[in-house]
Amino acid sequence: KSKDSRRKLFYLSLIEHSMRLPPHRLNLPLDEAVKIELETLFLDKVIAKLGLCISVYDIRSIKGGFIFPGDGASTCTVEFRLIVFRPFVGEIIVAKLKESDANDLRLTLGFFYDIYIPVHLLPSPSRFESDTNNKNQGRWIWDFGEADAQSEEPRFVIDGTDQIKFQVYSVSYTSIPLEQPENSKPFAPMVITGSTDNDGLGPVSWWEEAEMVQEES
Amino acid sequence: MKIKEANAGALTNFEVLDFLRSRGASKDPTRVIVPIAPSEFKVYDYLVESATCNQTKEHINEFLERCKKYKLAKAEVLNIINLRPSALVEIDPIIEQSEKRFGDQLEELVNLVVEVLPEPPTQKTAEEDSNKDKEETTDEKNMDGNETETANNEQIDEHETEQTEDGEQMEVS
Repeated sequence: KSKDSRRKLFYLSLIEHSMRLPPHRLNLPLDEAVKIELETLFLDKVIAKLGLCISVYDIRSIKGGFIFPGDGASTCTVEFRLIVFRPFVGEIIVAKLKESDANDLRLTLGFFYDIYIPVHLLPSPSRFESDTNNKNQGRWIWDFGEADAQSEEPRFVIDGTDQIKFQVYSVSYTSIPLEQPENSKPFAPMVITGSTDNDGLGPVSWWEEAEMVQEES
Repeated sequence: MKIKEANAGALTNFEVLDFLRSRGASKDPTRVIVPIAPSEFKVYDYLVESATCNQTKEHINEFLERCKKYKLAKAEVLNIINLRPSALVEIDPIIEQSEKRFGDQLEELVNLVVEVLPEPPTQKTAEEDSNKDKEETTDEKNMDGNETETANNEQIDEHETEQTEDGEQMEVS
């Protein structure tokens, strides 16, 4: 089992980074200039194993501010904390549907949208009903207990009208060395694979309906 | 860039929302003026729609106090605060070995959650019955054999929406 301290959506990460402050920033107070530079470098970027950088939480120290001969910019070393989005395996997250095709569902949180629910992690039996206009798009339907009632609109459809709860199955990063050449932006795509194959997962309206079904019977 | 501590502490959704708010994030159209990046606003928007939006420190502290007797793991408590499960079926994936550890007490716990933690904002302004955001509600206060519970779409609380009693059915379109 994962340790308690690992099991949340958002974390703080402590980073040390050396950077050059370009001359045009030097009219600002140092910590402001540094913060702007950090945000430019890190915000909305994925760092492998850390996750997606959301915000600069605070700046712990700024050392340096040297100007090297022949260089118009000032170099300093900053220690700061970032808020990162780093979901753990097993975590349950609510998201909206972004796309749906024969291979998987793609979900989005607004600020992050590389979330995929592959076919084999949908509840079974599920089937894909493609759009009449576009064979690649369509909706997924869970044929739960639907053996007889074929005449009506299927009950458990994923069509994006409500939010979808999924469980994180795996998180993968394209690997990139942790030490970056100076001034290059940290970059690595992060992909979350999720599952909706469990009680309480999938579109939230399903579970409301499930309770009603049992009530009727 | 050097990572000195990849995990320098975990944050609840509430803390992240609080942080963004303290820097000026709000739902106002004046957001263009505040020093918050568009990507940060997207996180704010996500959190605001979730169960976290109406939470206050008081809610969280009260919940923490009252859930002590259930001896939940820290992660479970924080997941509950983040997700605000309002039904057994919602809390089940969050709690490990829920049958063994809780049995019937699980309902009590759900009742506690619903009582102490505020509902997500969209339920208060429920225009359509069928348009539900993440927390659907069942009639938790009267929960006995939960399967027979009425599923309703409005929160049974101090809010203005209809009440359903045990045994009554709400029309779900």
